[in-house]
Amino acid sequence: MDKPTEPRSISLLRHAVLLVFAAISVYPVLTVVSISLRPGNQLQSTDLSIIPEGWSFDSYRELLFEQPFLLWLGNSILVSALVTLTGVAMAAIGGYALSRFKFIGRQSTMLALLTTQMFPATMLLLPLYILIAKLHLVNTFLGLMIFYVSTALPFCVWQMKGFYDTIPTSLEEAARIDGCSQLEAFTKVILPIAVPGLVITALFSFMTAWSEYLVAAQVLQESELFTLPLGIKSFQASMSTQWGLYAAASILVSLPVVVVFLALSKFLVSGMTLGAVKE
Amino acid sequence: MATRRKKNRLAATASSILLFGILTSLLGCEQTDNRQVVTLWHQMVPRERVVLDRLIAKFEATHPDIRIRALYKETEELRSGFQAAALAGIGPELVYGPSDVLGAFHSMRIIQDMSPWVPEQFEENFLKEALTYLPGPTDSQQRVLVQIPDRFGNHLALVYNRNFIAVPPKTTDDLIRLGIANTIDADHDGRNERYGLVWNFAEPFFMIPFLTGHGGWVFDDSGKPVPALDTPECVAALQMVVALRDKYKIVPRSCDYETADSLFKSGKAAMIINGDWIWTDYLETQGIDAVVAPLPVVSSTGKPMAPMVSPKGYSLNAFASTKGASAAMQFVLMMTSEKTQREFMQEVRILPSRKALLQDPALSADPTLLASKQQLGNGRMMPVETELRAVWDAMRPHYQSLLGGNLSAEQAAQAMQKDALRGIELLNRKSTEAPAAWAWQLTGILLIASLVVWQRQSIADFFPDIRRQPFAYLLIAPALATIFLTVVFPFGYNVALSLSDMSLTNFQDWKIVGLRNYVEVLSEAKFFFILLKTLVWTLVNVAFHVGIGVMLAIAINGPIRGKTIYRILLIIPWAVPAYITALTWRSMFHFDYGAVNLLAGNLLGIDPINWWNDPGPAFAACIVANVWLGYPFMMVIALGGLQGIPGELYEAAKIDGATRWQQFRNVTLPLLKPVLAPAVTLGAIWTFNNLNVIWLVSNGGEPADKTHILVSYVYKAVFNLYRYGYGSALSMVIFAILLVASLISLQRSKATENVYG
Repeated sequence: MDKPTEPRSISLLRHAVLLVFAAISVYPVLTVVSISLRPGNQLQSTDLSIIPEGWSFDSYRELLFEQPFLLWLGNSILVSALVTLTGVAMAAIGGYALSRFKFIGRQSTMLALLTTQMFPATMLLLPLYILIAKLHLVNTFLGLMIFYVSTALPFCVWQMKGFYDTIPTSLEEAARIDGCSQLEAFTKVILPIAVPGLVITALFSFMTAWSEYLVAAQVLQESELFTLPLGIKSFQASMSTQWGLYAAASILVSLPVVVVFLALSKFLVSGMTLGAVKE
Repeated sequence: MATRRKKNRLAATASSILLFGILTSLLGCEQTDNRQVVTLWHQMVPRERVVLDRLIAKFEATHPDIRIRALYKETEELRSGFQAAALAGIGPELVYGPSDVLGAFHSMRIIQDMSPWVPEQFEENFLKEALTYLPGPTDSQQRVLVQIPDRFGNHLALVYNRNFIAVPPKTTDDLIRLGIANTIDADHDGRNERYGLVWNFAEPFFMIPFLTGHGGWVFDDSGKPVPALDTPECVAALQMVVALRDKYKIVPRSCDYETADSLFKSGKAAMIINGDWIWTDYLETQGIDAVVAPLPVVSSTGKPMAPMVSPKGYSLNAFASTKGASAAMQFVLMMTSEKTQREFMQEVRILPSRKALLQDPALSADPTLLASKQQLGNGRMMPVETELRAVWDAMRPHYQSLLGGNLSAEQAAQAMQKDALRGIELLNRKSTEAPAAWAWQLTGILLIASLVVWQRQSIADFFPDIRRQPFAYLLIAPALATIFLTVVFPFGYNVALSLSDMSLTNFQDWKIVGLRNYVEVLSEAKFFFILLKTLVWTLVNVAFHVGIGVMLAIAINGPIRGKTIYRILLIIPWAVPAYITALTWRSMFHFDYGAVNLLAGNLLGIDPINWWNDPGPAFAACIVANVWLGYPFMMVIALGGLQGIPGELYEAAKIDGATRWQQFRNVTLPLLKPVLAPAVTLGAIWTFNNLNVIWLVSNGGEPADKTHILVSYVYKAVFNLYRYGYGSALSMVIFAILLVASLISLQRSKATENVYG
């Protein structure tokens, strides 16, 4: 592959834009780091220094060794991984159906998916409790998974449909002529091209499960089953939050997200263009 | 080909068996434990939880057949969560908290009388007002024991730093004198190094000592919960708060709970007004020498500043099983015993609810407990009536407007009184209309029937179509089934609630009353104003999310160095949980210490802005925070979309002599559209309904409830005044607005259609 070159001015412009936004992205999080290092549980600082006076890693030490942080981490990883797998699988096939087949109720399905996101979540507290009780989902990860997958799916299905839409149908037609079945044309030809879409879908499903709090607080009534957001929230108390632990935990929670993103983004920016398309 | 297909099928079967295995393992957390489980939702602060955990272990050791499951819940979460969970039949056996929620829980009939379980002469051992009795639902002579307290107090007092102040103020004149002496700006840069006095002055609970010190109270002395806010006493109290800040300048111009707390802990404030839950933290903070003292006497009236006092304790779920309730009560009796209370008293310095302990040598040995007891002596009992909720709700916005300089003390007092009366009326409204449930059921059936008739052609074609292309239906079925399972019931339930009279007074026996709630929603002038604000909020946010996201994706998608680093840094706002970054954004907009004002001042020489004083800047601050939270997501989507654009198209465009802008306009944008369309449509919906950011950044609607968008407004209506019916109707209206808007935008953008088709 030959590296395309650009005029120097364009490349400088790219760096300028990226540097400014990188700084904007990072600064507020540096203040979170600062809170996590600050002694005495203070949220507000009176100066701009990032390394506070009398700083220490005490919050991190307490978090890892004296709090059940690793247990929560394990629970969160389990739930998020399963939600990601299920979500991606369902969205990959559902989106394909919506993109390629003109079946009855297709338009209404698209709309119905969208409408599930329109209702303000605040009003769902009461019916969700009733539903969880009726389905006997209290204290089960399955309960969490069902809700997370169904929260993530509308976006994921739409997203996958959008991706499949950019892939010309001539590809499947060619595969079918070569003797592939309907299923094989999908799994062997289309799916590999749709990898960037799958990556976004995976990332989104993962984040949905990883950071969700409201449903988890309803389903899980046992502190051994807590996921990370629930655990972190337990450091917060009205008017006497343990800000050090709260901030340290928030920083640690975001590390796996960065790792997952890095691992997945290989497929996102590797230039897997549609070399195959020759129309 | 055939063997390969078989292999695939085998693999699919194997993986589905594996998945099934995992699922069953998720379901079956095998309970080998036969103990009776008692769940407790509590609001103990971290320091107290240590004692609680120890006592639970002790209790379980002596009661081998009982297991206590303690879960911390934040104040609002406990209140709203318990209402819902109790009604659904999966609530905790016990809830622990201050007494101010008891009136509401009792009205809703979700807590029960605890007196059958308590021993004889139990009552005599407790302080007079510590045990909360409420009249029975049918028999007003009956005394229902709704809470057994393990402590009494929860009150404010003055904490001073002995490094700066030798003798605490006895009067408010003293307080002002000491405050002026300790408000120091040594380098004359306009920012004080130390303040005389700090406290959370944005919250009306902290204003009560000023009110009582001037001879006022939240209710009048009729014995009924009638608000008394439009009084000369209240006006004088409000004027004093403002004077401390604007005339004597001894308190910061902007000071919420966390700012006050940080300033005092870091030795930048000489005195703080704060509650008994935090005093031990201050005593143990390095670098300051904190001492607790009673609040001073107001010089002009000679009356002491009296804080509200209340018991904190355990209440029993009305739906607890007989076995659960009796196990729970054994635990409650242990937790409120003299021995337990002494432990809490000594370790976390809170006052007991039992008489005998007030004379305990352990109490007189501790100067903090002594000061606390002295303060308690002139405290005033916090009313348990639900009407208090309406009073707080009415006070908060006008109090904040007063502090923002937009209302005079007289106007604020008047407005508070008016809103409190209206709030109480809303709280206590009973539905009088005759229910016509059958009419509504009939309407529902007719609606469904007409839908069927209208879509009869599609329905008739449906089954033949399944036979014609089963593959398509098979692919979409799993996603639809999952969503259907979780969505249909909550939605239907809300439709029912929106037509009902569910509220504080009709919590369990609500009935369908028709369109009343909708009329109420749409006849409120405020609704349209908030809707307009929500639209601005949505448009501005989404425009910036997409604009910045696409720009960054294009910038990063070229032949440049350091891609990985940039990618990591740019994803960070999405990766770090919003519930903490939203709070850091709030502190970045602080008047004195926020990074935004400091940077704008140092780099650009702009005068500091008091972001939370006026609705405009406050709303802008919320938007900035939300834009920051949202652009990484759009960047990721756009990055993915850029990968799908064939390089040949650019080559072809270049050959045709297209400029970069033309390439972007004619190649990039049209091909990004199908990928971005779902993210933009859904992004707009999520932004429209984004409660958290507004709530956290503006601290629940500061200033004066003027930063609300529709969802945060619903949240307030439902959970502050228990207007479930009204809230559901408002949610349905939000739903309808979004539905219509998406239909229009889908129609115009044809996002559901294939780009090549």
